Amino acid sequence: MASSTTLSQQKKPERSLSPWQIARRKFLKNKLAMISSVFIILVTLLSIAAPLLAQYLSPLPDIAKVNIGSMNIPPNSEHILGTDKSGRDVLTRLFYGGRISLLVGFSATLMVIVLGTIVGSIAGFFGGLVDNILMRFTDLVLTFPFLVFVIVLNTILYGRVDGLWVLIIVIGVLSWGGVARLVRSKVLAEKENEYILAALSIGCSPFKVIAKHLLPNVASTIIVQATLIFASMIVVESALSYLGFGVPQATPSWGIMLSSANEPDVLQGKPWIWMPPAIVLTLTILSINFIGEGLKDALNPKSLR
Amino acid sequence: MLKYTIKRLLGTIPMLILISIVVFSLAKLMPGDSLSGEIDPLNTNPEYIEEMREKLGYNEPLPVQYFNWITGFVQGDFGKSTKYKTDVFDIIMEKVPNTLLLGVISLIITYILAFAMGMYSGRRPYTIGDNAIAGINYIMLAIPSFVAAVVAIYFFSFHLNWFPFGGSVDILIEKGSFEYYISKLHHVLLPALVLGAMGTASYTQFLRNDIIDNSRKDFVRTARAKGTPIRKIYNVHILRNSIIPLVTFLGFDFAALIGGAIITETIFTYPGIGMLFLDSVTSRDYPTLMALTMLLSFLTLAGNLIADLLYGVVDPRIRLD
Repeated sequence: MASSTTLSQQKKPERSLSPWQIARRKFLKNKLAMISSVFIILVTLLSIAAPLLAQYLSPLPDIAKVNIGSMNIPPNSEHILGTDKSGRDVLTRLFYGGRISLLVGFSATLMVIVLGTIVGSIAGFFGGLVDNILMRFTDLVLTFPFLVFVIVLNTILYGRVDGLWVLIIVIGVLSWGGVARLVRSKVLAEKENEYILAALSIGCSPFKVIAKHLLPNVASTIIVQATLIFASMIVVESALSYLGFGVPQATPSWGIMLSSANEPDVLQGKPWIWMPPAIVLTLTILSINFIGEGLKDALNPKSLR
Repeated sequence: MLKYTIKRLLGTIPMLILISIVVFSLAKLMPGDSLSGEIDPLNTNPEYIEEMREKLGYNEPLPVQYFNWITGFVQGDFGKSTKYKTDVFDIIMEKVPNTLLLGVISLIITYILAFAMGMYSGRRPYTIGDNAIAGINYIMLAIPSFVAAVVAIYFFSFHLNWFPFGGSVDILIEKGSFEYYISKLHHVLLPALVLGAMGTASYTQFLRNDIIDNSRKDFVRTARAKGTPIRKIYNVHILRNSIIPLVTFLGFDFAALIGGAIITETIFTYPGIGMLFLDSVTSRDYPTLMALTMLLSFLTLAGNLIADLLYGVVDPRIRLD
C-alpha cells in the first residue's frame, strides 16, 4: 500500500492531501483508536441485529416473556451467560439492551450538538445584545444541577410522551450549554478572518456565512466534542435507568439490567446477571473515549503523530 | 479583586431568582396535588377540602403563591414534608452532616490519590509507571460511578467483608461514644472511596502535565545549577507552582459531588441529601423536593462562583474583564 502510493507519486505529481485526508491517515495509524472503533462497530452491529440473532443465541429468544421454568440459571452451554430472575436469557437481553442504550445515547448527543451549535454559532456570529441574551440563558441552563433537574423533569413528563423519548428530550434540553459555549468561542475566533469579511462583502446572508463558511471550519472541534458527549450520554442513560428514573422498566437497557444488582441476593450470589452489562458498558465508554482522543489527535494539525 | 468579587456576587442574584421561578413552575407542573399529604385522606367532604385549600393558599393566583413560597423560603421556612409530617428544614438538617462527611472524605481521597499519582507521573514522564497510571486513569474515567459502586460492594463488602454495605452508622452502638464515630467513619469510607476515585483522573493528568511543563522552566534550571537536590526541586519548587491552578477545580468538584452523591448515596443506602432527594421524588413529597432542588441548585451556583473567584485569584488577567 505504502510502496504503491510512492510509485504513483513518482509518475505524476498529485495534489497534496486535504486536511481531512491527513486526519484520516493519522487516525488509521492510531492503534488504540482503531481497536476501539472495531469494538464499537461490532457492538453497534450486534445490537442492531439483535432481533435476527436472538433465535440462534439461546432457546429463549423472547426477551419480554417471563419463563418460570428457567429462572436464575448460571451460565452453561445452553445459556452462555445464564438467565436472570425472570428466566430471560442474559446474552439476548444484553444485545437488546445495546439497542436502547446506544439509541438514547446517539439521539441525545445529536440533539445536544444541534442545539448547542445553533445557539453557539448565532451568539458568536452576531455578538452584542443577541450574544448577551443567549449566553445568559446558556449560563442559566448550565447552573441547573443536571441530575436533579433530569429526574424532576422526567417525573413531570413521564406518561405524557412515549417513555424513551422523554428521556432523550430531557437530557438533550439540559446539556447543550457546554457545546454552545465551545462553539461560540470558536466562532468568535474564526469570524475575525478575512474570508468571512469577503463573504459578507459579496452579499452572503448571515446564515449562509454561518452554515457554509464558519461551521465547516469549527467542525473538527464539534466532532471531537460529540464523541465525548456520546460517551457521557450513554452513562447518563444507564445511571438514570439504574436509579429507576430512566427508560421504562420493561425496556431492556444496560442500566435496567444492572439495576437487578439492587437486590443483595443477586449482587452477591448471581454475578452473571449484572456483570455482563457492567463490563460491556465500561468497555463501550472506554472505547468511545479512546476514539475521541484519537480524533482529537488526528484533527489537530499541530500534532505530529 | 474586591470589585471583581462584588460584581460576580451581584451577578448571581438574577440567576437565583430565575432558578427559583423555574423550580416553582416545575413543582406546579408535577403530577398530583401537593396538597395530598396535608389533608386528612379519609375526609372527602368537598367543603373540608375547599377550606383546606383556602387555608393553605392554593386558591391564590400563581404569582402570589410564588411570592409566599419564596418569602418563606428565604426565612428558612421550607414548609411541611407531606411524608414525614414535620418541617422540611429539620429533615434536611438531619441529613446534611452525613452528606458533608461523605463529600469531605471523598475530596480528601481524591486529593491524596491525585497528588500521589500526579507527582509520580510528572517526575518520570513516559516511563512504564507513568503509562500505567495513565492507563488506570483512562479506565477510572470510563467506569460509570454506579458500576464502580456496585463492583465495590460486591468485592469489599460481600467477598472480603471489609466494609458494611449500607447505612451511615451501626444502629446498635450508643450515640456519642468513641465507637460511634469509628463506626460512622467505617460506613462512609467505601462510598467516599468510590466517589473520590472517580474524580482523580482529571486532577492527576492536569498535575502531571503541569509538572512536566514547569520542569522545563528557567527557575528549575537555576535551582539545579545551584545544586538543589532533584527531590527538593520537584517537591518544593515545582509543586508549589503546579498546585495553584488546581485550586480552581475545587468549585467544579462541588457541582460534580452533588450529582455523584445522588447516585452513590442511593446505591450504598447512605442516608444523606442525595438519597432524601430521590426519596422525595418517588414519594411525591413536594415541599421536600422543592426545598432540595433549590438547595442543590444553590450549591451548584455557589460552586461555580467559587471556581470563578478562585480563577480571579490565580490568574489576575481574568479580573480585568
